[in-house]
Amino acid sequence: MTQDRVNVTIDGVPVAVPKGTSIIEAAKQAGVLVPHYCYHPSLPSPAVCRMCLVEVEKAPKLMPACVTTVAEGNVVHVNSPAAKEARESVLEFLLINHPLDCPICDQAGECELQDYVFQEGRANSRYGEFAKRYNPVEDFGPDVLYVANRCILCTRCVRFMEDVAGEPVLNVSERGDRAYIGIDPDHTLTHPWSGNVVDLCPVGSLISKDFLHKARAWDLDKTASVCPGCTQGCNIMIDTRDDVVVRLRPRANLDVNRHFICDEGRADYRWMNRGDRVEAPLRRDGSKLVPTDWEHAIARFAELAKSVRSVTILASGRASTEALGYLRKAFDGASVSAAVKVPTGSEAPLAGVPNLALRTERIPNLAGALLAGFGTDWDRTVAGAGASDLVVLLDVELDDAVAKLISAKTVIIATVDDDRAGGAALVLPTTTMAEENGTYVNRDGRVQRYFQAKAAPGMARPTWWIAAQLAEVGRGVAAPTTAAAAFAGLGKTIPALAGLSYSELGHTGRLVEVTAGAAR
Amino acid sequence: MAIGVKVMKRPEGETSYVRAALRGMRLTFKHMFQPKVTMQYPEERTTADARGPYAIAPRWRGTHRMMADEQGRSKCVACGLCPQICPANCIKLVPGEDEHGNRYPLIYEIDEFRCVFCGYCQEVCPEEAIHVGVHFENAEYGRDRFVYDLERLTSQTHPVSTLWDPADPKGE
Repeated sequence: MTQDRVNVTIDGVPVAVPKGTSIIEAAKQAGVLVPHYCYHPSLPSPAVCRMCLVEVEKAPKLMPACVTTVAEGNVVHVNSPAAKEARESVLEFLLINHPLDCPICDQAGECELQDYVFQEGRANSRYGEFAKRYNPVEDFGPDVLYVANRCILCTRCVRFMEDVAGEPVLNVSERGDRAYIGIDPDHTLTHPWSGNVVDLCPVGSLISKDFLHKARAWDLDKTASVCPGCTQGCNIMIDTRDDVVVRLRPRANLDVNRHFICDEGRADYRWMNRGDRVEAPLRRDGSKLVPTDWEHAIARFAELAKSVRSVTILASGRASTEALGYLRKAFDGASVSAAVKVPTGSEAPLAGVPNLALRTERIPNLAGALLAGFGTDWDRTVAGAGASDLVVLLDVELDDAVAKLISAKTVIIATVDDDRAGGAALVLPTTTMAEENGTYVNRDGRVQRYFQAKAAPGMARPTWWIAAQLAEVGRGVAAPTTAAAAFAGLGKTIPALAGLSYSELGHTGRLVEVTAGAAR
Repeated sequence: MAIGVKVMKRPEGETSYVRAALRGMRLTFKHMFQPKVTMQYPEERTTADARGPYAIAPRWRGTHRMMADEQGRSKCVACGLCPQICPANCIKLVPGEDEHGNRYPLIYEIDEFRCVFCGYCQEVCPEEAIHVGVHFENAEYGRDRFVYDLERLTSQTHPVSTLWDPADPKGE
């Protein structure tokens, strides 16, 4: 054992942790959860909630696990009678003024107070005859409501705004049992990352207006995904209820976004629930488009793509690396000019976390597109498209410039049904990132997986499947049948991704060399 | 046929039907002079609070009733516990917010055809809003009428089940 590690025993489990680790983190490594409210791994610890008191042998009294660092030979008891009694008392104090409104509280089901009281709280109250403190609900900002009655004053929100966001607009007002979270009267929570206080709140005190009363926590299906908002590639959870996305929440990834996502990313899910989707492949028959099946649609696509000399591919930056890679590869023989559209917005950094910001380029897969051989010079590619033998549009908005290109030599791979697609030779339905498995490569070259969160509408298929089928029918290249096989096959044309597999990427992704490894 | 069948000879008194018929008639006529126990339904009816031989048990679990507050609004706060606990998956609930910012059910429907009348919804309800009723007369002219919406559940007037014996709530 090296010098900078210490050996401790937590609830009978021996662990060796780096010097300076807090007991709560050491316990995590030992597989013991120390109940806590004010502690959060991405925030400084003030030790105000007194929930994480644990018994350390030879210490005179109980120690707060979140700020006590481990020492060599410490023997810690998290579940000893003394520690349990302390927690029970803390919970009793918290419940003196906490309303019993779990049935109408949005946090019910994912509330830490509910969980811990259920686990080790008192069965009944000794304060039954006293009236509870009452404060009205306050509006804290565009998406945040503060329900003062439910607050347990852990101050996570105060510390987030002060130490992480760098905009100290929240504080603890008043004292003693009258204390509540106050907001600067001249400010609201308009910081572009302030929505995180809702996730940080361990109880239902800070709640999202957008999610208010929408669903119960236990109704939600949670799927690991990657935010499609910008090149940062924050890890998110897509929460769906009955195949409808109801909210996005951050998913911890200490190398990318720690525990946070920006408000713009959080609110950007409505397009995943659009009802006006293309549901069947459409083939030109005379002057109109008629529904067909995939076999005929792919055959027609292969016919159009046969012996073309020049192809223009215009793609959305939300397309997966697989989609872009296979689409580019399907036209290997021809001269291909390909571009993704890169919408931009203002950058909004989160001060307290290095290398975390809402980025200027508002597409998730810019690096992946560059790896796959796509350019970013959208206007010039659109202008030059008229001269090419075939134009393929992948999930792009049909604005005036693009709509002008649509002709009998155009194949549109689309998610959304659009009247302007009427002139195309083929319209093929594809899935959005919420409906398929795939990968994005973020600006640091981190290849990250996202998982299928909801069912694809109608006959829609992932774009990589369409492109691979085209290559199989047109040129006899065997097509992969799963997203995992598709990703593994990407390594053949994109050297940077060679040797990677879905299982290797896991839930936190892998860094690859972005600049050197571009295709061909 | 070469199967030998042994025919038993019995005395006339044993084989005659007259004795058995008389015995049966004795039972029939005996009942004519005893008190009548058959309820003349539907001319004669009972209610849950009625006492006597025809009373329905107070813990009977029949079609639901939603309790209302003093203003006549349902007491339901759309917490979602009853659709969660329901083993038959017969409760449809969509929560919403009223003009005072209170949570309430936008849609609350119970499919009484799917319901197995277990009474879990009443047991789990934190607001004592949904109840199973002491009621059994549910005939309708169409199947669609068996999906009870919130208005119908609230306007039911039959008594509600006590689910457990108040004198012995734990069933001991």
